[in-house]
Amino acid sequence: MDKQDSYDAIVVGAGHNGLTAACYLAKAGLKTLIVEKNEQIGGAAVSTEMYKGWIYSNCSYVCSLLRQEIIRDLELPKFGLQVVPYRGRVTFSDKGEYLASYDDAHVKRREVGRISPIDVDAYDRYYQLVMRQCRFIRPFLLRRAPDPTSMKPRDVGELMFLIKRIYDIGPRDVGEMIRFWTMSIGDFLDEHFEHELVKASMAGSGIIGTGLGVYSPGTAYVLLHHYMGDVDGSMGAWGFARGAMGAVTKALGAAFESAGGVIKTGSGLSEFIIENEKVRGVALENGDEYRAPIVASNLDVKRTILKHIGREKLPPEYVRAVERFKIRGSSGKLNLALDKMPSFPLLPENGDYFTGDFSCNTSLETLERAYDDWKEGRWSAKPYFDMLIPSKIDPTLAPPGSHMMSLFIQYAPYDLNVNGVRSADNWNDETRKAFADAVFDRIEVCCPDIRQRVLHAEVRSPADIEREVGLTEGNIFQGELTFDQLLFNRPIPGYAQYSTPIDGLYIVGSSTHPGGGVMAAPGANAAREILRRNGKGDLMPALAEEEI
Amino acid sequence: MAGEGSKFDVVIIGAGHNGLAAAATLGKKGKRVLVLERSGAIGGLATSYEISDGLPISRHAHLAYNLNPTVIAELGLSGKLSMRPLATIMLSDDARHVEIDGETIRFADGSAHPDGEAYKEIRNRIKKFAGLLAPLALRSPPDPGGGLSLAGAGEAMPLAALALKLRLMGKKDMRDFLRIVLSNIYDLALDDLPDGPLAGNLAADAVWGAWAGPRSPGTVFSLMYRYGCGGAPLLPQGGMGAVAGAFAAAARQAGAEIRTGVSARRVLIANDAVTGIETDKGEKISAGAVMSSAGAVQSMMLAGAEHFDVEAVRRIRNVRSKGMTAKVNILLKRAPDIPGLSKEQMAGRLIAAPTAIYVERAFTQAKYGEMPAAPIIEAVIPTLADGGDRHAVSAIVHYIPRNLKGGWDDAARARLTGLTIDTLARYWPDLRDNVERVDAFSPADIENETAAPGGHWHHAELSIDQLLTVRPVNQLSRYAFAVRGFYLCGASAHPGGDVSGAAGRNSALQLLNDGVLA
Repeated sequence: MDKQDSYDAIVVGAGHNGLTAACYLAKAGLKTLIVEKNEQIGGAAVSTEMYKGWIYSNCSYVCSLLRQEIIRDLELPKFGLQVVPYRGRVTFSDKGEYLASYDDAHVKRREVGRISPIDVDAYDRYYQLVMRQCRFIRPFLLRRAPDPTSMKPRDVGELMFLIKRIYDIGPRDVGEMIRFWTMSIGDFLDEHFEHELVKASMAGSGIIGTGLGVYSPGTAYVLLHHYMGDVDGSMGAWGFARGAMGAVTKALGAAFESAGGVIKTGSGLSEFIIENEKVRGVALENGDEYRAPIVASNLDVKRTILKHIGREKLPPEYVRAVERFKIRGSSGKLNLALDKMPSFPLLPENGDYFTGDFSCNTSLETLERAYDDWKEGRWSAKPYFDMLIPSKIDPTLAPPGSHMMSLFIQYAPYDLNVNGVRSADNWNDETRKAFADAVFDRIEVCCPDIRQRVLHAEVRSPADIEREVGLTEGNIFQGELTFDQLLFNRPIPGYAQYSTPIDGLYIVGSSTHPGGGVMAAPGANAAREILRRNGKGDLMPALAEEEI
Repeated sequence: MAGEGSKFDVVIIGAGHNGLAAAATLGKKGKRVLVLERSGAIGGLATSYEISDGLPISRHAHLAYNLNPTVIAELGLSGKLSMRPLATIMLSDDARHVEIDGETIRFADGSAHPDGEAYKEIRNRIKKFAGLLAPLALRSPPDPGGGLSLAGAGEAMPLAALALKLRLMGKKDMRDFLRIVLSNIYDLALDDLPDGPLAGNLAADAVWGAWAGPRSPGTVFSLMYRYGCGGAPLLPQGGMGAVAGAFAAAARQAGAEIRTGVSARRVLIANDAVTGIETDKGEKISAGAVMSSAGAVQSMMLAGAEHFDVEAVRRIRNVRSKGMTAKVNILLKRAPDIPGLSKEQMAGRLIAAPTAIYVERAFTQAKYGEMPAAPIIEAVIPTLADGGDRHAVSAIVHYIPRNLKGGWDDAARARLTGLTIDTLARYWPDLRDNVERVDAFSPADIENETAAPGGHWHHAELSIDQLLTVRPVNQLSRYAFAVRGFYLCGASAHPGGDVSGAAGRNSALQLLNDGVLA
């Protein structure tokens, strides 16, 4: 074996979590290599030119969850990351109504009162409750999930920290918390609000990326997953990465290389090299082999285990648990190059909201029915979308005067049902076009001229995202965010602390605690765990209050 | 405080089995108890009537599977009740019905079922975990306000005991429990079973009475709840009315007085404490405490919302109780004949839920207030075991929404009847011309007859966010209901519905423990 091909650690997959883990390992002095199957790094956070002069984010499209601690630790702004907050949101109904959302609390109250006076005070109550849950959960994002069956001081300590946090919020709010964490977003909103459009405008965040409907218990928690981020300390705010989402991973890549790390792109993983239940390195599809005693996989848990390791090398119960892990494709993308700004005849001109997101969902029932279509293997007849025009804020994304539009669409199944046969192979140009048409029909509710504005459209089904990025079923979270797959259950009970049954092999992607979104917390937490297990725990910056 | 010369210590509103359980429990402790029942008969959701001369049949609920053994023992019910265990028959379109009789899983023709072992593994695992949770049903929910005081530590005891028992099961089981307890039955079943009658059985048993489909997270817990006392379905001789009758006998034996045809107009309150009750006839009855087995909203309104904190009012108004269950009783012209089943098998618990996806699809329609194309049905023909020659079917029809689009009227009820017969006739073609008479009770009828909110058989949806410390609502979970001396004692309180008796018994013990009557 050529000595050059030996490393202290290898990270497979240059998504944001793989890059983050690699940065921390390299900064701790480990000779670290990243291998990436695509030509460019970034995974689901990549900026590419879609159409001459139009730059776009391939999958993830907005930024908020990326932990501030990590941005600071890795000095990402120094490497080019700039997150620009955006403002506003508008939800349209089929009935020609709209509800805008503003940052300013007074303006927000006036706007809610315009369509539903009774909901004005309810909004304050709702927002206070949600923000309290956010404050509760945030400290856990950069901590390890305790193993409740373990008697090790670290696990008992983490469990005590959890119990103390719960105790500290007081008896009344413990009850509210139990309810919030187990309720459906639909029931939660029904409790607070009267007007259907007010409810519909807030429900989307409870289902984004999941295989659940707005009336499925547990979706209120998913809402939290979209509220608990911040832009530079402003909790709940969202922003664009200047230069599109690839800027996040480019900055991470640059930070990694400046710490002495090596990146090799263009060849995917063939298999993990495993000898005597210990990982020894990786073999790539192009025949290259690299050796290291530590291998960190940014692939989701199903791909890591089921695709790249022979099952005879693993305990059968573990394999069974991985097979049971739910990663369900439920969303697609539509990216549009527009010749100029589309018209929004329902909206007053020049509002803040043109920099924010748009959706079109009349009621909770519309959203629930969208889910019912998906359960049967069809895309929603009236899909939910989250639509943004990032070029309104970042002029580098499209030629002057023209615009880039990005839509996240739900629900779209991975195994599309055509004539009773459910298969990912049913996604082809014809079905993709029909899917896009269903979305265009919905966009026309707010932008009647949208079809005339399109110079180029790119539609991606869950199957396309899987093929391109490598996410199983194209699921943006690398695994459903239901309680059976959260905290100490994520991804597999007993293996929630980034390890696997193979000595030296770790999982560092969103399949692990605390889950998906461009958060980078799994990568950072995993790096801490890897360093600690290799006697280098003191080389990890204190991400959170480590001491209990 | 009981007024001087007051004849009763406690007045209980509603002679459902929980009200009667509370009455019997208090009576046995020497308290003078009066139970008021607005309808002419006792029993609430557990009553019988004669569908034909001399042929009693359960009006609403028809099987006991969750009757709490502690309640049976404490109230001495066993001598007053005759109940027969039933095998479960999962009906199949191809007449290859599947019989589930305890540990025996087989096709109705006696041949082995290939998935029997896998089914038992799932069911028995859930039963084991259910047994672990069962002790919680016999205590008031833990009070999170107990804090670090001695009393607070006492409150945490049941939870600590549960945690300890979990640990003692070993890592594997503990992890399994923590993974599945909040998950959905659909995935749990289909991870290890092909979709068919056995998966359909788990899915259906997890959702009876519920506004939830098998894919809804929380349905594994609702199956654990059903299995809390073992889950074996028992058919009471004489219908469910006999069960309520046993509770009533226990209450009377303990000295309680039961008056039917009298309802409460309002709870009398002075100086923020209960002083008694005023009946619909204007009679004022003084008492030191009033317990209500009505739903949370009705109970609040009986006392007057002005006595409740504004947050409590909001929470109570938001208790979810969207009834989904109807009851259809069918008087037959002649003995039933179901292809593929023996007479003994026909006397079992017959379930129309051929697959888990079938169950989910029924919910998909019903959640929008539509009548499903194919509901799930649990039918029994209680007369078969009695050996008579007159027969009747008692059928629970699930996913029939209380909030039906267009509302409930005779036409809607006729649709319910037709749907029930059509669904059963898939497996039992001969039924169509074997029908002598049908009595259909929509969820709206059930609500009118029993006052169960929304016609919901748990009074309040049995979902995780309405359980234990937050049942029926946060901060009012320990039976005491905002006003001193006013208590909830029905299914909307912990631990919830089913003919179990636990809510009535627990609330009575809590009332005694609170020292209100001293």
